[in-house]
Parts: sequence; C-alpha cells; structure tokens
Amino acid sequence: MDIDTQTEVEPHTTSQGDIENGEDWVRLVSNDGFSFLVRRKVANMSGTIGNSLDPSSSYAESETKTYHATNDRGIIVQKLIEYMSFKAHYSKAKGDVPINELMERIPPEIVLEVLLAADYHEL
Amino acid sequence: MATGVRRKSKIKPPKKYGPDVSIDETWSELSTNIREILNRDNVTNMSFEVNHRHAYNMVLFKAGDRLYNGTKQIVAGRLQELAQSDVIPSFPASASGDPTTRNQENEVLLKVVKRIWDDHTSNMSKLGQILKYMDRYYTKSAEVPETWEFGLDLFLKNIIRSPIKEHLITAVLNQLEFEREGYMINRSAVKGCVEIFLSLFPSAGGPSVYKGELEPALLKETEMFYRNLGQTLRDTCDAPEYLRRVESRFMSEEERTQHYLSRHSASSLQQILKEYLVTAHLEATISKESGLDAMIDTNKVEDLTRLYKLYTLVPKGLDCIKQALKKSIARRGKDINEASSAIESADEPSEEPKEKGKIRVVTAGAQTLASALKWVQDVLDLKDKFDGVWKVAFETDREIEVTLNEAFSSFINSNDKCAEYISLFIDDNLKRGLKGKSDADIDLALDKTIIIFRYLAEQDVFERYYKTHLAKRLINGRSVSDDAERGMLAKLKVECGYQYTQKLEGMFNDMKISADHMEDYKKHIASSITLPIEVSVIVMTSTFWPMSHSAATCTLPEVMLKATKSFEQFYMKKHTGRRLTWQLTLGSADVRVMFKNRKHDLNVSTFALVILLLFEDVEEGGFLTYEEIKQATSIEDSELQRHLQSLACAKYKVLKKHPPGRDVSTSDSFSFNSGFTSNLQKIKIGTVSSKVETGEERKETRDRIDEERRHQTEACIVRIMKDRKHMTHNDLVNEVTRLLSTRFKPNPMKIKQRIEGLIEREYLERCEDRKSYNYLA
Repeated sequence: MDIDTQTEVEPHTTSQGDIENGEDWVRLVSNDGFSFLVRRKVANMSGTIGNSLDPSSSYAESETKTYHATNDRGIIVQKLIEYMSFKAHYSKAKGDVPINELMERIPPEIVLEVLLAADYHEL
Repeated sequence: MATGVRRKSKIKPPKKYGPDVSIDETWSELSTNIREILNRDNVTNMSFEVNHRHAYNMVLFKAGDRLYNGTKQIVAGRLQELAQSDVIPSFPASASGDPTTRNQENEVLLKVVKRIWDDHTSNMSKLGQILKYMDRYYTKSAEVPETWEFGLDLFLKNIIRSPIKEHLITAVLNQLEFEREGYMINRSAVKGCVEIFLSLFPSAGGPSVYKGELEPALLKETEMFYRNLGQTLRDTCDAPEYLRRVESRFMSEEERTQHYLSRHSASSLQQILKEYLVTAHLEATISKESGLDAMIDTNKVEDLTRLYKLYTLVPKGLDCIKQALKKSIARRGKDINEASSAIESADEPSEEPKEKGKIRVVTAGAQTLASALKWVQDVLDLKDKFDGVWKVAFETDREIEVTLNEAFSSFINSNDKCAEYISLFIDDNLKRGLKGKSDADIDLALDKTIIIFRYLAEQDVFERYYKTHLAKRLINGRSVSDDAERGMLAKLKVECGYQYTQKLEGMFNDMKISADHMEDYKKHIASSITLPIEVSVIVMTSTFWPMSHSAATCTLPEVMLKATKSFEQFYMKKHTGRRLTWQLTLGSADVRVMFKNRKHDLNVSTFALVILLLFEDVEEGGFLTYEEIKQATSIEDSELQRHLQSLACAKYKVLKKHPPGRDVSTSDSFSFNSGFTSNLQKIKIGTVSSKVETGEERKETRDRIDEERRHQTEACIVRIMKDRKHMTHNDLVNEVTRLLSTRFKPNPMKIKQRIEGLIEREYLERCEDRKSYNYLA
C-alpha cells in the first residue's frame, strides 16, 4: 500500500489539544486484517466511525482508538479513507472541487460494494 | 461513480447478504445492550460497531418497527422505575411548615429530577448514536420522531406528569419565594429544573413546559408577592428607603432571570415589579414627608437619581415627577414671594401711623431694596438648587427642564414686582456687588440674572426699570465697570434682539460723546476765558433717556449761569440746530464750605448747591425763610422740600432748621450751621429719595408702560395689515399676540381697542362681513 494515508510513523505523544483538533491518530482495521492509521479529523468524516471513536463515550472502540470495519475488505476501507481524506480536505476549501479526480480512482468492479459501505458508515 | 458503472459491464455482486443471525437473536442481544447502557454499567466492554450493526441489520431486514418500539418500551420502563423508586419518595412532606426544612426537601426533589434528566439525556444521545441508521431511514419512512425526540417525549410522559409536575412547580415557586424572603437557596437545583422545563414541549410547535405551565404560575406568585410587599414597604418605609428597596428588588429579579430563570420571563417579571412597586405607589411615595421635597431640601442626589431611574421605567412616572416638582417649586416660590412682601408690608404700617416723615421712607426704601435683592438671590439659589438636581439626578431630562422652567416662570411672574426686583438686583451688582470680583465672576453673576430674566413674561416692564437704573448709574458715575455694563447689555441683546437694547446703547454712546465734548470744551476754555467754576456736561439724546422732558427748573446764580452759557455757546458752535435743555435735577456739584472748625468738601445735588449759595451772602447766624428761598431759586415746592430736608434734617446737618423737626413746612426758616463738624473731609449729601418706587411712582411707571404698549400694539397691527392688506379679526389678534409675546403678554381686549382706535383714525376699515379688516393706505 503506497497511498498517502498510510504511514509507518506514529506520533510519539498525543495531547488533549490534538484530540480536540482531530490531529491525533486513530486506527481503522478491515475485516481481512489491513490496518490504516488516519488522523481523527479524517475519521470523523464518517458519522458512524466518528461516533464510535467519540472520546466522550466509553465504548471499546474509543478506549482502544481502533475501529473494526467488520463487513469491509481492505480495498473498500482504503477507498472509504481516500474519500474521507478528500472530503476533509475540500469541505473547507473554497472554489472548484475536482470531483473527477476521485471518481477515476474507484474501480467499477467494487463500486457497489463501496456504495453499501458508504451508506453504512454515513458518508 | 455512476459513469464508471455505465462504462464497464461486469459488476461483481457484493458478498453474501442476508441476516447471518436471526432477527430475534439480534434484538435480544441489542435490547440487553440497550438496558445496559441505560443502567450505565459495563459500557466500556461494549463495542459500538457491534450494536450499530445490529441496529443496521434490523432496519435493513424490515424489523425497524420492532427495534423502534422495543427501544421505546425499554426507555419508558426505565423511566417509570426511576419515578417510582427515586422521585416519588423525595416528594416534600406537604404539611411541613418550617421554611428551612421545606427548602431542603424542595432542593432534594429538584436535584433528584435533575439527576434523572441528566442521565436520561446522556443515555438518549448514546442510543441516538447507536440507532443512527434507524434515525436516518426507518423514522423517516415510518414518519415517527427520532430517538432524541421520543426520548424527550417519554421523559415528559413518565417523569414530568401528575403529580410529579405539580410538586416540581410548587418546589420551584417555594424556592423562589424563599429566596425573595431573603434566604439563601441552592440556585443550581432550581436552574436544573427550569432547564428541563425549558427543553420540553408537550405539543409539537407549542410552548415549552416552562412557558406553558411554570411561567404563568410563577408570574401569578410574583404578582401576589410584590403586591403585598409594595403595600408593606409603603406603610413601613420612608421614601428613600422605599426606593432603595425597590431598586434592589429590580436588580435581584434581573439577576434571578440571568442565573436560573429563563430570560424570556425577565420582561414579564420587570413588568410586574413596575406595576406593583412603582406605578401603584407613584403618588404615595413622592408625596411622602420624606419624598421629593425632602430629598431636594437635603440634597439627596443619590435618592433623587434612584427616584428618576425608577419612575422613568413606567409611563406615568415622569408626569408624576413633573407634577411633584411643579408643586415643590410653586410652594418654594410662594415662600420667597411671601417673604419679600412680608418685609415690605411689615414696614408700611409702622411708617404711616407714626408719621415720622421721610427718614422712615429712606429706611423702608433700603429695606425694600434689601428685600428685592433677597428675593432675586433666593430665586437664584432655588434655581441653582433645582438645576443641580436636574443635572445630576435627572440626567438633564428635557421634559423635566421644561417643567422646571414653567414652574419658575409662573411663580416669578406671580410676583408683580419681579421686573423691578431683577433690575434692582443688576443695579446693585453693577454698583457695588461686583467690586473686586474677576471678570469671570461678573460674567457668571450676570448670566444667572439673565436666566431669571428669561422667565419674565413682561420684558418691556423690565426694560423700563433697567433704563431708569442704568441712566442713574451713568449720570452719577456709580457704575463699577464699564465692561460689566456693556457685558450685561450684550447679554440682553442676545436675549431680546437689537431693538430691545437700541436705546440703552444710545445712552452709552451719549456718555462717550459727552466725554469727548468735555475734552474739547476744556481745551476751548483754557484758550479763552477762565470761569470761576468748572463744569462738566453730559449731553443726552432725549429719546434715549428715560428722564421726563419737563425738567424742574430753577434760577441759577450768576456764576453757574455763566458756566452753562459758556458751554451752550461752545456746543452750538459745533452742532447747529440742536436744542439744549438743562436737566438740573440730575446734576451734582462739589463745593468747599468753610465751617468754624475746618473746611469740608461737600458733594451735593445741583439744587442743593443753589440753595447753599444763597447762604453765602447771609451773614453769620442770619435766617432765610422757606418763602425767601423759594423766591430766590424758584424751585418747585416738592423739590425744594426734598433738598432742604436733605441739607437740614438728614445725617449731615449743614443747615439749621427753625423750628427743628423732621419735616419741612412752608413756615420754616433756615440758617447756616457753622458749627457743623464731621470726621470726614469729603462728605456726600445724598438727596432724600427712595430707591424702590413708592405706590404712586409705581402707578406712574405702570401707566407709562401701558402707553408704550398701546403704541407697540398699534405699530404691530399696522405692520401686519400693511403686509396682508386684508385679515379676519381672529387672525389679526392671534398674529399680534404672537409677535408681541416676546415683550409682554398682550390682552385681546386691549388689542381690540387698538384696532378700533386705528379704524377711527382711518388706518383700517371694517369689511362688510363685520369680521375682517382692510388696510387703508
């Protein structure tokens, strides 16, 4: 996996301010064992993932900062994250949003699967 | 994505779809978890994702209604349990009379409900997260409220219900009353309950529980409380204390709405306060013994400020203040007026029966002068006082200013001598009061006088007095400073316009020209003949000066005649075609008299000098009878008596009267008092005269003013008619009244008389309709 969102470097410290700003890192795990580290603000783009990792709740997910996407394969989770990053980046941006850029990156074979996953994750 | 789908034909179906586990199993697991969440235990071990997926699956596989209703049931059951186990046992024992116990009980109840509410809302938001998928799809299609809303609804139905609701409302009201009585309560407990009430709406789009049920009860309770409080305070407190209490009530209620009641109630509560604490007791408070009058007396600016602030909150308040101020000023004004007339009337009876003569008049006159000065000073002080109060306490309220002005004007004008008094006050100030004061002080004093002057309705009367007084000051050289005089004149000009001061300025001009003339004359004298006496002449333009034209004449001795002739010649040479009339009554003379012991310089009036000169030829100890003097001088009886009296009967007795006495009669005779002694080298022998007018003089002044007014009215009518050519009677009268009102208050009857006079003299003619007039060129 050589996409932007995956990184081997995990920040050594996490302050309260980072959590509030969504700058700390959370882990998303696919059902076939792929693990993705993303910033919290990117994860929060999904209502479902965001709620489950909500620091003020005390679910297992928020305690471990890990969300298990039990229904989705790695490739689907990757596409979800790509879209979430895209949304996190452009939702505040002014001017044109290059929608095509993202659409071209989703292979037609998995479109339906991505669509279902997106619905489940409130995207 | 859609384009991608269309281009490629092969689309892999997503992995197997269908419930892995049965719906029943899913629901039983989910419902257990929901109960756990509600009971707030074990949540940490629970996976969000699992529960979310359960809810997702149930919605997806058409079990949404089961999920929805099941959840509702669980939540409702939980709330019912809590109501039974927690809320009802903490109801206050209703019979308990002790306020402190009741306070504690109320607090407990409020806190319990608040705790349940907090738990409930946090639970509902957690459920909301888990049941998000249900909220997004099922509730929309089934047209039922979302998780959060049905949570509120369930709380309303199961907790905020009879009898819990009634107990809560009573508890809040009790706490409120308890605090109003001055005790401490736990505000956050009340606040919690109020917040619950605020966020619950019994019917969609309707008012909240707070608005619908708590607020009406609250307002009713408040109304009762403050109605009683207002009564008690009014009966037990004096006005300042009452206002203080009321103000603190306003603040505490305001604070209450900020801290734990809804802001929406603030205006209603303030309205109640205004109604029962301010409006209801407006009159009672302000007219208390310790009310407005006393506050002004003692200069309680703080109390007055408070009074103003509170009273201006309600519509009738300002009027009430205005009325009270008016009354207060009228009363004080009446006191001042009465005090001044009391001084005068106290003197008059003592003067007449004792027949002590004119000396009494002098003291009476002086006293009247003093009363005039006192009156003006009192008025000024009063004005200062009220201005101070107005500035500091009443925030320079314009309406109050108008009221103050009206009140002052009415009581000042109710003193019919006000114009004379004010003029006398200025006269006195310019003559001696201002000595040694700085220019700024002078200006200030004059400004203050102008303020009173503004209140005068009959400014033409004032003008007449002022003119007389000014003339006296100018001729006798009594004015302290020319600058002050001119300053005063400038102020009058600003107030009344150019016309008003035209003649006064003419008088100043005459003085200046005369001074120039005298210089020229002195040069002229020096170059020609030498005269035995020095002469100084003021040439007065007759229309400017208020002196009567038919001046008393007298036969001048040779030396004086020569001097006057010499000046007349000089003057006529410079200005041909003018006529000089000597106003000997206004003049004065310095003469050195040889007495037995020493020489004295006497300053006497011209007439007195003429009389004195008669004795120059009489040998030591000789007499001149009254008749002889009269024949020699041909001075009128009244004038002659006056001057003889001042020479023979006043403080400095230069002449001896035979027989001695205070009054001069035609049978008396006089001799030169060569034994006269005094410590002073220079002696001023004032002519006996009163400064304040006597009744007769006043009548004369009055007549003159009336005449002047007649002329002014006629002139005004003609001016208007010349302009309009034709006018109805009423319009004309109104217009005349309007134009003349700056000078005096014209009487419509008088105007009518003037119109008739003008018709007689054919300036105007009556039209056929008998209601209007034409101007005849």
